[in-house]
Amino acid sequence: MELDMITLMLKHVLLEVKLQSRALLYCPRRSLTLRLDIQVSHTPVAVNSATADIAIFLMLGALRRIHIPYTAIRASRWRGPSPQLGHDPQDKVLGILGMGGIGRDVAARGKAFGMKIQYYNRSPLSPELEQGAKYVSFEELIRTSDVLSLNCSLTKATIGIIGKKEFELMKTGVIIINTARGKLIDEAALVEALNSGKVFSAGLDVYEEEPEVHTGLLQNPNVVLLPHVGTSTVETQRNMELLVLDNLANALKNGQLVTQVPEQKTQASKL
Amino acid sequence: MRHPRPQILFFNPVRHALRKYQELASVAQVEVISSTNRLEFFKDLEKKYKDITAIYSKFDAELIQKLPASLKFICHNGAGYDAIDIQACTARGITVTNAPDPVTNATADLTLFLLLGAIRQLNPSLGSLRKGAFKTGVDFGHDPQGKILGIIGMGRIGRAVKRRAEPFGLKTIYHNRNQLTEAEAAGAPYVSFHELLTKSDIISLHVPLNSQTRYMIGADEIAKMKDSVVIVNTARGAIIDEAAMAAALDSGKIASVGLDVYENEPEINKTLMGNERALLIPHLGTHTTETLAAMESLAMENARRGCFGESLLTVVTEQQEGKSL
Repeated sequence: MELDMITLMLKHVLLEVKLQSRALLYCPRRSLTLRLDIQVSHTPVAVNSATADIAIFLMLGALRRIHIPYTAIRASRWRGPSPQLGHDPQDKVLGILGMGGIGRDVAARGKAFGMKIQYYNRSPLSPELEQGAKYVSFEELIRTSDVLSLNCSLTKATIGIIGKKEFELMKTGVIIINTARGKLIDEAALVEALNSGKVFSAGLDVYEEEPEVHTGLLQNPNVVLLPHVGTSTVETQRNMELLVLDNLANALKNGQLVTQVPEQKTQASKL
Repeated sequence: MRHPRPQILFFNPVRHALRKYQELASVAQVEVISSTNRLEFFKDLEKKYKDITAIYSKFDAELIQKLPASLKFICHNGAGYDAIDIQACTARGITVTNAPDPVTNATADLTLFLLLGAIRQLNPSLGSLRKGAFKTGVDFGHDPQGKILGIIGMGRIGRAVKRRAEPFGLKTIYHNRNQLTEAEAAGAPYVSFHELLTKSDIISLHVPLNSQTRYMIGADEIAKMKDSVVIVNTARGAIIDEAAMAAALDSGKIASVGLDVYENEPEINKTLMGNERALLIPHLGTHTTETLAAMESLAMENARRGCFGESLLTVVTEQQEGKSL
């Protein structure tokens, strides 16, 4: 019996950015050797504005060191015993690490707050995409940004891209924002930099070992911590679901995905 | 009335604009108030402060009556001056200045923080993480994309909020005492108060507190709003009937609120405190080193100009030319 392509739909359609797959089973004539060619699609673009919105919320909260007054008022202590002052975003340098769709959305918002935008990306962008942002080297980004927003994907090359060495190079009083992936940052090094005052404050939506949050972060008064809610809105979740369904429908009809992950797009289909 | 070295009395020491303070100290006699209470201050006004020309700070009618005849200027270190009895000052020939511009950006920034926090329902998320539950049980919020932001009061701060709202995909409409020019409104449609209430997904208040604006948002106004409206207030608490807002939040008519100000600071309506969908911060509007320094500098510059007969930079609206002084 010859079996044509059997497409097995996985029961669980996972709506995370990199986790949707479709398995094709090949059954060659003579044996039942199964070779799994799994094509993976993700949901880019749909996540961009929601994630950028969270990055800005975290940035504004971190600039203000909002955690202390925010908890004090809820404990009926108004601003708390020793209210601190925050900083304005105006004229500060916002450094974007990874100028993809999300990074560009963060940049557009930062501009509206009077910030100067610079970015590091694997390669510089066209002027239309840059929208006036300055392309700098990774080291210059680290050394000269007042606010550093991480917006790159997590790959073997970017694990721990922000660690002890990078914190040492940063400006004193830098603000770190991470809405990308926790593992981009060496969390222990971040805690140390916060405690020493090197980092003025941090706004985080992601953590190295979610749902665990480093104790040092929980104990530091100068951080704003959200539990990975970057895309947790009715509208964005719906858009992500629609895109996954599109990918599935297309896969069934034409054997192709709509938003296949970039790493696979360069290989010709092995079908 | 000028003195060779005019005396300026400071109600609070300058903390941020120190260089400006030193410059001022070279041309005027600057002093930080030492009276420890109101009665003592009244006594001091008859003796050591009897020749002050300018005061840097805040005031009610009784206190204004006690001020010496030499006092011509009160230079308020803030934009909102509802705490100063302007009529009493005008009656005594005292000019009041405030500090409107420096507060604009900081207040608009905080407005966006509260707006995002409210529409995204982030308060429960912030709490859930700290309780060790990460995001278990946390509900979804909403995106600002494509929503209608209704700005009540399109002055400097209202306009600054609109500029920031654009990249978030918010569509702004506004209501104001008077319609702005197209350029000033930057394309935002002018609507009646009623239309703003009924059409907005998010309502943000940016009017000063005065007899016309006190309780302008009450139960009746809330009833006209869209279901699941989001309200943001960084202006003055008493513009909203806090109890009515709290009740509407509990009932779900209001989906969430983002507040920096309250009717009776530092007290807050208990029902409001009990609702997780209220993002509350304690009047931090301008609490940044940069903005406070800019406010201090402006108040000091007004004080300096007043002392030396130069034209003041920012006299309060009620006392500006064309009005009686």
